[in-house]
Amino acid sequence: MSKFSYAAGLLLGALAAVILISQAATASGSPGSESVKDRIEQAIEPFDSLKVTTAYPLPVKTVEAKEQYQGGSFKVLARKDQITRFRCSVCHNDKMVKVRNGALFTHSDIQLNHGLGRNQLTCNECHAIENRDVLVDKQGGQIDFDHSYQLCGKCHFRQKRDWLGGAHGKRETYWAGERVIRNCTSCHNPHSPAFPTKMPATYSLPLDE
Amino acid sequence: MDSGNNQIEKMQTENMPEKKSSRRDFLKNMSIAAAAGSAGLVVGGCSGTPATEKMGLKWEEYFKKHYRLMTQEEKDATVTRLERLAKLERGINVQISDQGPHEQVLFGYAFNISRCKGYMDCVEACVRENNLDRRTKTQYVRIFEMDPGQLDPSAGDGQYHHEVPVKNKFYMGVQCFHCENAPCIKACPTKATWREPDGIVVIDYDWCIGCRYCLAACPYWGRRFNWGDPEVPKDEINLNQHYLGNRMRMKGVMEKCTFCIQRTRKGKLPACADACPTGSRVFGNLLDPNSEIRFVLKNKKVFRFKEDLGTEPKFWYFMD
Ligand code: SF4
Ligand code: SF4
Repeated sequence: MSKFSYAAGLLLGALAAVILISQAATASGSPGSESVKDRIEQAIEPFDSLKVTTAYPLPVKTVEAKEQYQGGSFKVLARKDQITRFRCSVCHNDKMVKVRNGALFTHSDIQLNHGLGRNQLTCNECHAIENRDVLVDKQGGQIDFDHSYQLCGKCHFRQKRDWLGGAHGKRETYWAGERVIRNCTSCHNPHSPAFPTKMPATYSLPLDE
Repeated sequence: MDSGNNQIEKMQTENMPEKKSSRRDFLKNMSIAAAAGSAGLVVGGCSGTPATEKMGLKWEEYFKKHYRLMTQEEKDATVTRLERLAKLERGINVQISDQGPHEQVLFGYAFNISRCKGYMDCVEACVRENNLDRRTKTQYVRIFEMDPGQLDPSAGDGQYHHEVPVKNKFYMGVQCFHCENAPCIKACPTKATWREPDGIVVIDYDWCIGCRYCLAACPYWGRRFNWGDPEVPKDEINLNQHYLGNRMRMKGVMEKCTFCIQRTRKGKLPACADACPTGSRVFGNLLDPNSEIRFVLKNKKVFRFKEDLGTEPKFWYFMD
């Protein structure tokens, strides 16, 4: 029965198509002067994203960013509780380190590959010598690990401008609700920020038409 | 506001399928004739053995209306039936939403061709999110490896399988662009595909007759046809479904990207945008001047694929 009705449906569809196509020829015409671009440009009233109440709960720990985007204040993913051995001053203090713990304590796992050629960065261009619990910029200003964009943006100011607006980086999980975006260090390994070369997650077959 | 766009608007979002729907009546009459021939069919029976319950549910499903002609009660009823059928037939507890669009929302997408590394995490996330057929390896999203200067994906390599990114290549993602002036909608003889008020082009799988006119009409390879029954391992089925989205399709119907309607109407990013590790995928509300997508349109060099066709895709490519 289902095969029969499927075939009948096809036949009917073909019939209807003939009728509809002849209708469409008179009804549709060409797209007029008002394109979707015009419609977008005319929309100047900010959308109240908070009314999309299903855009919660946030799956991650966030902090209020210290800067503004075009829609006001926003949040970024917290960084400090992602750093397994924070606070750094637990080790970086006056106490002596036993030799047998040396390998564990020297960050021997970190591969530094940041900056081109002769301009490779060294540890203390970002990490403060005096206070290991914060980052430091060229002028000696202290920057919290949760707000690393303030440091990265000192060199990568174009990326930072795009990141603030939303053309670089990404939002966390939701397009609606409170604006929560990823921090620089959520996606980039700060010690080796370029994305790696690797095999793709899958592959594609040719399309059948 | 009597512009051409309004006319399109009328054609694609307001022009409901006619009540005196010929397809439905035709099929109904035919099936009644068939039923009269085969004795003892249970009409609307929801009691008794699972087999008769299933038959009753299927019977009612068979005569339901086009989604856009259903009242809220009828929508809720079909959703309940489909959830029950999933339980009876596959032993799974799906939740099928019929959530409508938000007001003042028009979804749009932007793809950064200078950031994409060709990792295809988006493709894989989409397959899982949308319950795509694993047997024929159906994918809504395609990534093309391109040579510098090319801007037409058909000139690129869509079947690459090597370490990425390759030096001096760039990567371009293609999926349904949710055209405002969509040729696929115009081509459909049964009005089984239409554009929702939030801009998502959807398909009523139960109204599609599988003629594939839409597939031929789409200039962007946006549509996928089910030549067989889609197969998804039971433990990999995404149970959070939408009637117009990732609910299980069947043999002989068309399907395509729905901007993850089951996610985006809840405020989530589409699975592809959420999965992208490089931030090449920007999604949001085109009607919100503060949104990320609006920032891209305003501040970046953007272009659309085959812009001159007048299809008005809501999917832009941009460069850093
Ligand atoms: S991209 Fe193709 S399938 Fe998607 S709306 Fe446009 S014409 Fe239709
Ligand atoms: S395949 Fe389905 S959606 Fe496409 S034109 Fe035919 S009936 Fe319409």
